[in-house]
Amino acid sequence: MGEVLFETKGVGKTYGSNTVLHDIDMKIHSGEVIGLIGENGAGKSTLMKLISGVETPSMGEMFYMGKPYVATSIINANKQGIGMVFQEQSLVANLTVAQNIYLGREKKYSKAGLVNWAEMNKDAKKALERVDIKLEPGKKVRDIDMATREMVEIAKVLDVVTEAAEGHAIILLDEPTTVLSDDEIQEMYVQIRKMKAAGNGIVFISHHLDEILAITDTIYVFKDGEETAVFPTAEANIDVLYEKMVGRATTGEFYVEAQQSVPSDKVVLEVDDLSLFGVFNHISFKLHEGEVLGLAGLDGSGAEDVCNCLVGQVAPTEGRILIEGKEVRFGNSYQARKAGILSVPKDRRDEGMVSILSIEDNITISSWEHMKSKGLLSGKKIRQTALKWIKEAGIKCTGPKERISQLSGGNAQKVIFARVLESGCKVLILNHPTRGVDVGAKQEIYRLVREMTAAGHAIIVIGDTLDECLGLSSNVIVFRDGLISGSFDCPVDFKPSQQEVVHFMM
Amino acid sequence: MNNKRRDLIKKMTVSQQFVTQAEDNAKMDKVRRYAPLILLVIMTAIGGISQKNFFSWANIVNIMFQMSIPLVISVGLSFVLLLGSIDLSIEGNMGFAGSLVAFLVVNNSNSNNFGIFGVLIAILIGLAVGTVVGFLHTKGRIASFIVSYAVGCIMTGAAVLIYRGTPIQVKDPMFIAISQGRLFGIPYITLISFAVFIIGAIIMNYTAFGRAVFAIGDNEAAAASTGINITRTKIKVYALCGCTAAIAGVLQCMRLKLGQSNLGLNQMFPVVTAIVLGGGSVSGGKGGSLQTFVGVLIYTELANWLTLMGVDTNLKKVIQGIIIIIAVTLTVEHNRKTVVK
Repeated sequence: MGEVLFETKGVGKTYGSNTVLHDIDMKIHSGEVIGLIGENGAGKSTLMKLISGVETPSMGEMFYMGKPYVATSIINANKQGIGMVFQEQSLVANLTVAQNIYLGREKKYSKAGLVNWAEMNKDAKKALERVDIKLEPGKKVRDIDMATREMVEIAKVLDVVTEAAEGHAIILLDEPTTVLSDDEIQEMYVQIRKMKAAGNGIVFISHHLDEILAITDTIYVFKDGEETAVFPTAEANIDVLYEKMVGRATTGEFYVEAQQSVPSDKVVLEVDDLSLFGVFNHISFKLHEGEVLGLAGLDGSGAEDVCNCLVGQVAPTEGRILIEGKEVRFGNSYQARKAGILSVPKDRRDEGMVSILSIEDNITISSWEHMKSKGLLSGKKIRQTALKWIKEAGIKCTGPKERISQLSGGNAQKVIFARVLESGCKVLILNHPTRGVDVGAKQEIYRLVREMTAAGHAIIVIGDTLDECLGLSSNVIVFRDGLISGSFDCPVDFKPSQQEVVHFMM
Repeated sequence: MNNKRRDLIKKMTVSQQFVTQAEDNAKMDKVRRYAPLILLVIMTAIGGISQKNFFSWANIVNIMFQMSIPLVISVGLSFVLLLGSIDLSIEGNMGFAGSLVAFLVVNNSNSNNFGIFGVLIAILIGLAVGTVVGFLHTKGRIASFIVSYAVGCIMTGAAVLIYRGTPIQVKDPMFIAISQGRLFGIPYITLISFAVFIIGAIIMNYTAFGRAVFAIGDNEAAAASTGINITRTKIKVYALCGCTAAIAGVLQCMRLKLGQSNLGLNQMFPVVTAIVLGGGSVSGGKGGSLQTFVGVLIYTELANWLTLMGVDTNLKKVIQGIIIIIAVTLTVEHNRKTVVK
């Protein structure tokens, strides 16, 4: 490994009062591949955004080639020699490969306003050859396959940064292998080694530990926005990596485990060999009355997509969903609610609350059928229902007429909980139920969950953290690459450790 | 999906399935891309078989003449639709440009005689109006359909104010010469329209600006990250659209030798429809000059054929509506989600 190309010192990022990244020290050497691992929300992507110029750090300093480094935008970072290959492909399908590579940089090729495509294609060919791709640069991106698109994207970034910093560029790869087959991943490794041999510094993010171990020189482990460990890859021990990825387990008291109910034998919901092609396959499980079933998995593992199918947002391609033994099919969320499944959505602000409506309307919106009197909505019924829930769920507000948008995150979430409970649905899906909620309100929500199961509801939960998922659930299913990779019983006092579970996630 | 293939896909891993799906979508996309051309061939064949004089030179010239004005409007409108926006000021802009040019050249109501400068002034004002629409849309952050509709209203009103109620008749010899002149039997107006269209096609395909419009329409975030000036590009698009609308207005005025506000009446939506028929999309990112040309041709041929068949005007509208719905349903991309991921 050569000299230090890039360095962060105490870098962090806060949004309002929320710290998502804290005190990160990282050194990227010439010819080094750094692997970045951590659970969802560990801060990997945030750090990438800071380095690539998408966002600016709230604290700390960054240095590139020994000088203070500030990037005001992606292009600005590119011009200095730092480029990122984004997780979502950012190519424009309707343009040719060459036009994509030089998008925004056509000036070099234009004369009197007209672009000389032939010359651009010639250069593009060279840029593609640099990553060993033989491809007609005049081809439209929509006509080439996914793996080649990924390589085009890399060729594009490589072309920009080497123009600015030949031999000492920084290239950030955010999950570049997601759409690649095994052979294509090997080809990707070849390219990474080539970039490395040229003296560049590389940061590689992947959800697959085997890839991290195969290609990196150094591994940084992130947890909850903090850097918990740094190892040379050669000395990395898998068990230690897992241990560093998960945090300390919170006490059972925090999750009100004493009130965790024992599921009855009665199956409320059965999922039988459910598949959504390209997203998840062969998912089967049973959900019992009074059970909290946790779905654990990293982003893109398929856990959330299963929930989307259960609430009718997406139709599965294969398999059956049964409610109390009867097969059901949903074309939309309305039908799912009628069948008895309703969710607390992940994104409260955009999917959960109807901001322009009052608390009482938000609580009763899923049960307006029951709020009628003589065919019209009854204001009295709505108010009584709302008052009941404000008291039961402990919603702090000035009254049922207050707008939901005035409430704090925790109180707004309690309104949403009241809504799903009032709907009378038997199966409740809680997708990140405590996201953006303060500690006090979190516990109240946990208590609500316990009350719900005690009342016989069956709950599927996707936890905001693995700790929460294990703490709340009586059973946990682990997802990896769209398949169920493991399952755990989580009775009170005998919860599996996070390390055990995380092993099946990566 | 047949069963065998379904079983095959069933056995794949999730990421293989994802790739297979993306490739399937690409294939479907290809089919969809050629659908308008196939439609055009079918339309032409039906026209030729059912009407003997469909392929007569006179009728071909007639079709070309009928598509002239729509073609000019389509130049700017294609860019706007590529962005995923709309410009409802086109009709007002056309009416204004036509009324203004009639006022500026030799006419029956005043002693103006600006000749070719009158034409230039009218077109430049159209361009300025387009720039204002683009500016208000981007800088003022007003939805394009609202701001362009409002500006269109202003222009329609302003057009009437120019001639104070009595439409101006054009007496300019240049206008009369152009409106009556023909080359190989093709009217000058048609030739001018095709020339404008070709210039538009060059701008779309051979300039960085043209490519930037595609990039913004397909993926605005990606376009922004490559350093394209989104705001300026959008304003330019509206300026171009205002400019071609004004040219269309002037040509319309030449054709009718009359300057009045309703020169542009009901001119825009048929062109939007034609562009979509050709494979463009109102949500942006799809289409191109060739697609626009094919679309306008299909639309005009259809109208021409229905006329030749002697179909009742009202029935004609019903048939046109039905054919458009069928064609657009076949060409539109239904499951975009899996492609973008």
